[in-house]
Amino acid sequence: MYGGGNTFEAMKATALVDEDPIKLAEFEARIERGEKIEPSDWMPQLYRKQLIRMIEQHAHSEIIGALPEGTWITRAPGFKRKLALMAKVQDEVGHAQLLYGAAETLGKSREDMIQDLINGKSKYSNIFNYPAFTWADSCFISWLVDAGAIVNQVANSKGSYGPYCRALERICAEESFHLKYGHHCVIHLATGTKKQREMMQAAVNRWWAPMMHFFGPSDKISVHSEILMKWKVKMASNDECRQQFLDMYVPKIWELGLTIPDDKLMKNEATGQWEYTEPDWDEFKRVINGDGPCNKERLAVRRKAEERGRWVREALLAPKAKYVTPLA
Amino acid sequence: MLESLDPRVNRLGLPDSFGSPFGSSSLDQFETYEAFVMTKPGKPFEHVGIVHAPNEEMAWLFSKEQYTRRGMIYCALCVIKTENVKVSAVTDNDLDVYTTIEGEYSGQEKDSFEVFHLIKRGKQHKHSGSVMAADFEDAMRSANQSIERPKTVYNVWIAKTEDIFSSDEEDADIWDTLKEKKYRDAIDYKAADKIKAFKEEQA
Ligand SMILES: [Fe+2]
Ligand SMILES: [Fe+2]
Repeated sequence: MYGGGNTFEAMKATALVDEDPIKLAEFEARIERGEKIEPSDWMPQLYRKQLIRMIEQHAHSEIIGALPEGTWITRAPGFKRKLALMAKVQDEVGHAQLLYGAAETLGKSREDMIQDLINGKSKYSNIFNYPAFTWADSCFISWLVDAGAIVNQVANSKGSYGPYCRALERICAEESFHLKYGHHCVIHLATGTKKQREMMQAAVNRWWAPMMHFFGPSDKISVHSEILMKWKVKMASNDECRQQFLDMYVPKIWELGLTIPDDKLMKNEATGQWEYTEPDWDEFKRVINGDGPCNKERLAVRRKAEERGRWVREALLAPKAKYVTPLA
Repeated sequence: MLESLDPRVNRLGLPDSFGSPFGSSSLDQFETYEAFVMTKPGKPFEHVGIVHAPNEEMAWLFSKEQYTRRGMIYCALCVIKTENVKVSAVTDNDLDVYTTIEGEYSGQEKDSFEVFHLIKRGKQHKHSGSVMAADFEDAMRSANQSIERPKTVYNVWIAKTEDIFSSDEEDADIWDTLKEKKYRDAIDYKAADKIKAFKEEQA
């Protein structure tokens, strides 16, 4: 998981006036030729800023995304599922490490990124502000939220910033396990007993709206991102990613006898595009701005982990220090 | 011509908005180390990414955790503190970075240096040889003379041999533990039969 529906900073028309026009032209020519930009290369401030923002959001989404699934490790049905889910959650946290590393090459320290997550300044994928009530919710996340993330990540891995692309290549290799594992879990429930099927269907019903939100606001209303596309920061529009996801996964959901809670959902064979009820973007904005069912809990868990880990970091920095019993 | 690879050495002229409102938290700030892996015996070490760690042993351990999971089986791993890696500029187009260097190799053999080349844009740096030289710049000139370059080199990293922390050969068995963990691989999850059976049952 889980780079989805990034929010980019609104851009001012003057964002590029301070840049050296010759260097800017060279930079754009390199990207045009398909060359990758490396950390020590010249780059416009706006490019640096938007990339930090995007990679950082992606990293946060990986660790926050591990929370709803992480709580299911001990309750996963059977030893095999526990092992597999533990491996997946471990991967997600590892992805965060890879991504923080890539973002750091742009100059923002990991400590600052983690602080900005905890104090709410940075965002993460909105979908993790919803709770995983049942085991079937956890299965939905493993299969379909990861599937959505893969759509985004595969697109981004062809972007222009070298360290991000390299991190994504490794991440995508691991994601294929998550996807197969998740699919396996969903098939098991969807082809199981009546009760299992109902549980799976209820999870699909709960998660469909957040899943549609996952790719971010419709292109019609989202910020103008032409320059980010030109610089290969953003590789596909939100709607393109959503269409690709629907195209790949709706048939796979339907073939399991599951239904999707949107009567308008269908593929228009004439245009090749999926049609659907427009997601509730006000709800999306409300949740991303802090008012979702789990926002506070997610950040509280992160904050606590940060506090609890402090002594470990301090101890690691002073390996020779000895504990001395105070005299009084 | 060569700069430090460590972005913290010069914060790259970031806009003010990235300054931390908390001031620098020196206690939390670990050094970063660059990790390199060997995919098969005899293959060159290649860069995989960074880790944060308080010292090189821990950096090595974190790298092992971080970069050698999920069937990515390697046979050796080494780490170098980021600030000890010197990096050349990345060239444009098909320009070989060695054509941009100035001066002559001093011929001095004061220190041993390891040289890593970027020969495919967007890919990782790979170890391509060792040289003896007086300093980093000199090592670059020495590499220009003595390291064979079948392909254009777009960028070079150089580190002192003594700054490299590597796994011991006698510890080779640490790489053996991954094979039985099939459940961590996509291949362990077969779905087609069950879906087919389900569809037949429904029909
Ligand atoms: Fe994942
Ligand atoms: Fe992930």
